[in-house]
Amino acid sequence: MKLLEIKGLTARYNAGDVLKGLDLTVEEGEIVALLGSNGAGKSTTLRSISGLVPHIGGSITFAGQSILGLKTEAIAKLGLAHVPEGRRLFPGLTVRDNILLGSSNRAGVSRGQLEREADDMFAFFPDLKRLEHAYCWSLSGGQMQMVAVARGLMAKPKLLLLDEPSLGLAPLIVQQVFRIIGEIRKRGTTVLLVEQNANMALSVADRGYVLEAGSLLVSGKPDELWNNDQVRAAYLGGLAASA
Amino acid sequence: MSLLPQLLFTGIGIGSIYAMVALGFVLLIRSANVVNFAQGEFSMLGAYAMVILLTGFGLNYFVSLGLAVVAMAIFGVVFASITYWPLRDRGQIPVIISTIGATILLSNLILATYGPSPEVLPGLFDGAGFLVGNVFMDSQYLTIIAVTAVLVGLQYLIFEKTMVGKKLQATSQDKEMASLLGIPVIAMIFGTFAYSAALGGLAGILVAPILFVSVGIGPLIALKAFAANIIGGFGSIPGAICGGLIIGIVETLGASYISVPYKDAFAFLMLLAVLLVRPQGLFGERIAEKA
Repeated sequence: MKLLEIKGLTARYNAGDVLKGLDLTVEEGEIVALLGSNGAGKSTTLRSISGLVPHIGGSITFAGQSILGLKTEAIAKLGLAHVPEGRRLFPGLTVRDNILLGSSNRAGVSRGQLEREADDMFAFFPDLKRLEHAYCWSLSGGQMQMVAVARGLMAKPKLLLLDEPSLGLAPLIVQQVFRIIGEIRKRGTTVLLVEQNANMALSVADRGYVLEAGSLLVSGKPDELWNNDQVRAAYLGGLAASA
Repeated sequence: MSLLPQLLFTGIGIGSIYAMVALGFVLLIRSANVVNFAQGEFSMLGAYAMVILLTGFGLNYFVSLGLAVVAMAIFGVVFASITYWPLRDRGQIPVIISTIGATILLSNLILATYGPSPEVLPGLFDGAGFLVGNVFMDSQYLTIIAVTAVLVGLQYLIFEKTMVGKKLQATSQDKEMASLLGIPVIAMIFGTFAYSAALGGLAGILVAPILFVSVGIGPLIALKAFAANIIGGFGSIPGAICGGLIIGIVETLGASYISVPYKDAFAFLMLLAVLLVRPQGLFGERIAEKA
């Protein structure tokens, strides 16, 4: 069943068109990777889905409902969680508070229930438990990424948008982050993953899309992308060849 | 020396008013990045609303107080719709100029309506106060201190213990991220304007029996509250409270021991001293540390 369907998506900033008629679908339960070089339009795609880009055209359907033109808060309430590039934690709040705030899209849930769910999240991310009461400005990049993902999961999302989760992290931490993305899939959460580290992204993804200058270059299963010479040369670099 | 306890009591009383208005300043800085120069005018309008309801319509004190505070909260929403909302995406300076414009408009509207003569507003209690040792506990100052203490405690509970408070803090730290989480950012900002205006109005009502109700009450309170913010640390809630109390005490001691005509100057001398020695304020972070 299609959870997200994008048709002919165009997005424009002052500098010009960033997306030029993008088509993309995400099926329920999938992990879909969105790949491409810097400036290809990957993050703009996620921002457009979340209602953060003012000038967009085409159509975006989420869980059977058109979300084009809806306010960002309203889109979040439909069950879409966005973990943006750079983590964007609230630095002056504690780890626990940041995680609790992830549930802001859900109405009518008691504080006690939210606290229990936050405890579940600390069980899922055991490394965060000892940092529960630490302010987020004091965390390392890897710890911040874990908190950002945990905050996203507190939304109980139908679809989790992950933007560059490995950016700026040490190789060992990157492996840990992708192991967690695999765990998230096991929990039944659908993921649309934007990543420059194509090797890691395709290792967890069911399908991938490769963007070039705001347009779709090619899409397919990881094997098909690995074997596409054009993609390997231009976007996956030597990583795919060596995989 | 025997005067000191009395002066400290008076200083804390008047400092509580500055702290209350400074809290309104801080909340708007934190939620909407707005430095609202009309914060003092909120106090002036609150006091005039109380005069109209209490002496004009002859309503009961508590009914008048409740209605005046609610009216100020509604005014805060209207104020935000006109001075902040249309300019919200144009940076801080246009909004600051807009609030300065509102200050001039509001004070001249009141001047044209009520004239320059001050109005008298009675306090909550009929009795003047009572003696504790050598200190005369003025009933109005006691009311001010008690109300401020309750409001500060309430504000702490809301901000630190409730989800609404955490959402307000999140909104102040990163509005876009807050909206991505489903936090109603617009409602949070307008709610803060409403609360800030109600707080300013309440401060005006409480201080009116001491200073009288006039057009001049707004700038007088606003300047001291602004200085309190800087002394305490711009945008810091504990800083606003401590800054307000420090200014109240310093100006009361200065007026008594040094010079009454220079009473207002002591607050600003204190401000200069803090800027020289600790420019980030008592509770503020250094900008270099934030980067």
